[in-house]
Amino acid sequence: MTTQSPSINTFPELPTAPDRVAAQAAHALGKLLFDTPECQAYLKAIKEINSDVDVQRISANIREHETALQWGKGNRLEHQAALTTLEAELEALPSVHAYHQAEKAAAQLFHAVDEVISQAAGILFAPNAKRSGCGCGG
Amino acid sequence: MLTEELNAAARLLGETLHESEAVQKYLSALVDCEADPETADLEKRMCTLYEELLARQQRGENLLRSEIDNFNALKRQVYQLPRVAEREAALTPVKAYFAEIADEINQKLGMEFPALAQAGRL
Repeated sequence: MTTQSPSINTFPELPTAPDRVAAQAAHALGKLLFDTPECQAYLKAIKEINSDVDVQRISANIREHETALQWGKGNRLEHQAALTTLEAELEALPSVHAYHQAEKAAAQLFHAVDEVISQAAGILFAPNAKRSGCGCGG
Repeated sequence: MLTEELNAAARLLGETLHESEAVQKYLSALVDCEADPETADLEKRMCTLYEELLARQQRGENLLRSEIDNFNALKRQVYQLPRVAEREAALTPVKAYFAEIADEINQKLGMEFPALAQAGRL
């Protein structure tokens, strides 16, 4: 005896899982954010900072002093003074300045977007979406 | 500051999250908490004390060990209240759900949306 399988079309439509809908909404939002001038400028600034030879040189120097401090090698005060000088040197580089500016603009945009999400959700989104750390959002 | 399209997409995501079971359960637990006078009162006392201690600490004052102990005792008392415990328990799945949703945004962006959004708050 054979039983005929019902056609998929005879079944009532499956309810759409809210997770899937939210994931699609998040995906669409991510795409829109990615295309914003703020996001593009930030990604460009990251790329530039990563390929800046001065940034690489100063960062390598900073790591050397940090490692020496960590292992108690040499004079602690001298290492700390060198670190202060190097950090100031790093911050004065045009690519680093541009990076901070771009990061600030992207962060402000993301914050504004997060406020809209949180208001509609009825609960803070970003503080509760972080994978670690405090999510109290207070 | 936000374009209409971006605003609409963010609102749609927020509304979708609002409809989720996890958020609905949390919001219901939150309402229960706020409706209970004992819970609301104790939690308000805890928040007021926290802000007061934090402000003093930020002014460079050294807090007494007994003041910190008192605060921690009050905090324990608050978190042992059934309605607070229920609310906190309801928040755990919300966080897991939000982290998954944020991953969708992060993947598209190539950066951490929640961390940067929080940095923009400062």
